[in-house]
Amino acid sequence: MKISYNWIRDFVDLDVDVHEAAAALTMSGTEVEDITHQSVPREVISARIVEAKKHPNADKLFVCTVDTGKETLQVVCGAPNTRSGMMSAFAPVGCDLGPGMLVKKAKIRGEESFGVLLSERELGLTDDHTGIMEFDVETKPGDILVDALGLEDWALDVNVTPNRGDCLSVIGVARELAALFGKRMKMPDNPIVEDPTSVDSVLTVEIVDTRGCPRYAARFLNDVKIGKSPFTMRRRLFQSGVRAISNVVDITNYVMLEYGQPLHAFDSTLIAGGGIVVRRAAEGEIFVTLDSVQRQLRADDLLICDKEKAVALAGVMGGENSEVLPTTTSVVLESAFFDPEGIRKTSKGLGLSTEASYRFERGIDPAVQADAANRAAYLMASYAGARVYRGVIDANHLSLAKREVRLRLSFLERVLGITGIKGDDVERILSGLGCDVRAEDGGWSVGIPAFRHDLTREIDLVEEFIRVYGMDKVPPVLPTFRPLAGVVEEKGLKDLRVSLAAVGLNEIVTYSFIAGRWKESFPGETLELLNPISDEMKIMRTSLLPGLLTAVERNRKLQTRDISIFEIGKTFHPSTGRKLPDEVRRLGIALTGQRFNAHWSEKGRAVDFYDIKGMAETLIGGADLKPSQLPHLAPGSQADISLDGKVIGSLGGVHPDVLTRMDIGDEVFVLEIELEPLLKKQWKGLAEIPKFPSTWRDISLVVDEHVGYADIVRNITAKGIREIRQVAAVDVYLGDKLPAGKRGITIRITYQSGERTLEEAMIGKWQEKIVASLKNDLGIALRQ
Amino acid sequence: MEKQLEELQKQFTQDLEAIHKPEEIEPLRIQYLGRKGRLTAVLRQMGTLSAEERPRMGALSNKLKSFMEQALDDKAAALASVQIATGIDVTLPGRGLHRGSIHVINQVIGEIEAVFRNLGFTIASGPEVEDDYHNFEALNLPENHPTRDMQDTFYFDKGVLLRTHTSPVQIRVMESQGLPVRIIAPGKAYRCDFDVSHSPMFHQVEGLWVEEGITFAHLKGVLYEFIHTYFGPDIPLRFRASFFPFTEPSAEVDMGCIICGGKGCRVCKNTGWLEILGSGMVDPAVYGFVGIDPEKVTGFAFGMGVERVAMLKYGIDDIRLFYDSDLRFLSQFA
Repeated sequence: MKISYNWIRDFVDLDVDVHEAAAALTMSGTEVEDITHQSVPREVISARIVEAKKHPNADKLFVCTVDTGKETLQVVCGAPNTRSGMMSAFAPVGCDLGPGMLVKKAKIRGEESFGVLLSERELGLTDDHTGIMEFDVETKPGDILVDALGLEDWALDVNVTPNRGDCLSVIGVARELAALFGKRMKMPDNPIVEDPTSVDSVLTVEIVDTRGCPRYAARFLNDVKIGKSPFTMRRRLFQSGVRAISNVVDITNYVMLEYGQPLHAFDSTLIAGGGIVVRRAAEGEIFVTLDSVQRQLRADDLLICDKEKAVALAGVMGGENSEVLPTTTSVVLESAFFDPEGIRKTSKGLGLSTEASYRFERGIDPAVQADAANRAAYLMASYAGARVYRGVIDANHLSLAKREVRLRLSFLERVLGITGIKGDDVERILSGLGCDVRAEDGGWSVGIPAFRHDLTREIDLVEEFIRVYGMDKVPPVLPTFRPLAGVVEEKGLKDLRVSLAAVGLNEIVTYSFIAGRWKESFPGETLELLNPISDEMKIMRTSLLPGLLTAVERNRKLQTRDISIFEIGKTFHPSTGRKLPDEVRRLGIALTGQRFNAHWSEKGRAVDFYDIKGMAETLIGGADLKPSQLPHLAPGSQADISLDGKVIGSLGGVHPDVLTRMDIGDEVFVLEIELEPLLKKQWKGLAEIPKFPSTWRDISLVVDEHVGYADIVRNITAKGIREIRQVAAVDVYLGDKLPAGKRGITIRITYQSGERTLEEAMIGKWQEKIVASLKNDLGIALRQ
Repeated sequence: MEKQLEELQKQFTQDLEAIHKPEEIEPLRIQYLGRKGRLTAVLRQMGTLSAEERPRMGALSNKLKSFMEQALDDKAAALASVQIATGIDVTLPGRGLHRGSIHVINQVIGEIEAVFRNLGFTIASGPEVEDDYHNFEALNLPENHPTRDMQDTFYFDKGVLLRTHTSPVQIRVMESQGLPVRIIAPGKAYRCDFDVSHSPMFHQVEGLWVEEGITFAHLKGVLYEFIHTYFGPDIPLRFRASFFPFTEPSAEVDMGCIICGGKGCRVCKNTGWLEILGSGMVDPAVYGFVGIDPEKVTGFAFGMGVERVAMLKYGIDDIRLFYDSDLRFLSQFA
């Protein structure tokens, strides 16, 4: 909310400068986000157009003789309201009106011009550019305009928190400042001279839904002359970002900004039967609001009606059928209190938020309706020539019983952690905020003013006290504590990240929502957002691989081809029976391009299956791999990863179709596993460190290509030789020296005993046994 | 004689300069310092000097002698190292491993965790897909209340949503765990908002301490400790009254701008202050939802945006960089 600082000062005398006032507001919870100094240069003066003659060479221009109080100058001006004898704003040659607006001596169509006459818009005062400025106060030629019109001002951009609807007004902010600086409020008198004709003779108000509309006040104004509002009013509206329309409409907006009470003016000739009826809409009822939009209503939307039809969407926007127009001569003025929740439902339901609905939703002062109506009536009498009919219709179903909240000094001190709070300070602060404070045993009984609907509990008063008293007066104190049991799991995660980075992987973090088209490669149930940012961020990921592959695609476009990345994050899976989905924390890895940095000493090597498999082996000791058939991985080079008999993930090359779709020209190898089993892995106990030396033997085998390496290892280890410590492949050979369909594998078997040094004869026996078994069971021959 | 010594030093320096092989060192040493060397020759003239001059000349020639010895040794060492370098080129690149990196957001989370661990906090977590109750209602954000406008929410079917903050972890921890509660909960949160300073997915660190006797002064104490440990010991802090539905009293915490030192700059919008944390005393309404008696127990909660911390710490001005997976960005945090 933007408001003028001068306007605030109409209601409270402050002896501090605007920055100090703004700082106090900010520290007490009403943040001033910006202060804009608004003024005009002191060179700009009031000047009289002594004579305005038609320009000899241009139809729409005038050549004026201008009296600046010091001299008489010739000035060319194109404004349609230029006329002899008028006073206007004048900037002489050399005056800097802002960027690109330095006033220079000019020759316009052959006539010299020594300065410019200015519109309100050119002075940055309003957005009115229909003509040069005219004054509604007396000035003399040569008066410095800033001083003559009191133009120096500041616009405060105030961020009002949702609990403080009462601060969505000039008076609300002024009240805060009065409390902060210990000042009294100056409320306007609004001395209305009422017409003898009673409002009751021309208007009735009937509230059908008193829950939706507990209070409806109305006034009737006749003989209204629609025109322009006074300059100060238009400028203040402009400072608040409200467009000036006409005196009557401007006054309703002006009083709304002042009192926080939204007002609505109807053209009374368009109110059929002289009666206002407040009722709920019929389900599906159509209503055209004054922005000319047809709106379909629901049964809980509230309408203001006359005796025949709806004329306004209560608390949100008026109707096109009853708005004040230039031809209007009499006005029904509405000042009502609507149920905040109801207005919010209507506003949300229609997607229509207005200055009025915003204030009603946040709760306006339930006691201010008549005051606001009187203020508007007074201004309409002053600036629109209105005849104000006697009396206010005030249909009031609000129970305004005084609310009392008890505040204990002990509670105040217990929450804040300070002692020795002075009773005087508590009473001064709460009274300053408009509360009625009565000292009691051990504390106070605090009467809450009507406009502070947010104060209902003791804790609310603690906050009121401290935000005015000053949070900086509470000293920081470090509490004493006993350590709680730590969570080890998170440390495991951190260690995992460190080790992955140490082997050359870069961690990425990608969005948890991905494009729906990924379901093609990752079929299965997904959660879908009802209101995604875009189609690219629509479904919750069930795998980390789409994010990793997208990162590969993106970096390749950025000319990085050697990519080793990982992500740790959750995947989301619709669950059966539970409201919330299953969230599974996973690790994903993607490798592509060259495995190692290019080096002058050796030839590079592209990443292959055994790189990703090696990572799996390093990460998960004791994992089992079995060939798998997942749709996103390349057939024949993929495997499921199991730990303790449970599949926890998979690895392999990415399916060529997926790569083609993403325009990735190199092979990509990926791994994805669940993290929980990895982080929960139990320590299996300390193994004895061998005392006796180990020894190893190599055997070179000729193996049928259908026999897997794992089959060989299983065969060897299944022979009951306890002394076998390790079986490893040291060479795999394919070539013409072998028969077709065969490959050569050299196996190294390491033996070691916990009890003695092994003897040659013993090892020889075991070797024979193994060779025989491989031959019998798997048809494997020794290579000659 | 003094002149002779000076001349000798000059010549020696020239001769030394001209040497490029280690084997030339020794002959030069003999030429100057040997028994028949040039310095020795000059020293033999000492006898011709007067008794007054003799000590001074002795000192001068000793000084020259040790200068020559040192210079010869240095030269020998330098030539020896050149000798090795001609064997291999030590300036060629070594066979290094590619250096990976932990994502800057996770680094920052780790750092924040470390500070709070030292203050006795443990780490808690909760689901990212939440229900309305934990994300809003139990945090005192009733339905049809303007406080809900503070956050733009992503929805699934049936009132299920992406958590808009890490605060639901507060509720889950108080529901499931006995007192005292002293946790921080780092994690992802989501809001429908996407521009230079808003990402639809972002990270927060939530903190909660509920225990008998915990006060607003303690909240200040803990946050002072955090800021001073993490950002620097002399950084000023201010607690600015504010509003959050789940705390009362509530305070925004600003720290003195770490970019300009409080003088005013673009980052702090010329205020000298940076908004860094939201905080407050847990609202009794929240205790009502989790069955804690606010007459017995008090507590405080706070939360901060990890991206904001990272952006301030590293001078990053576009939040989207965190999630673009651009290795040219990420690898800078190796």
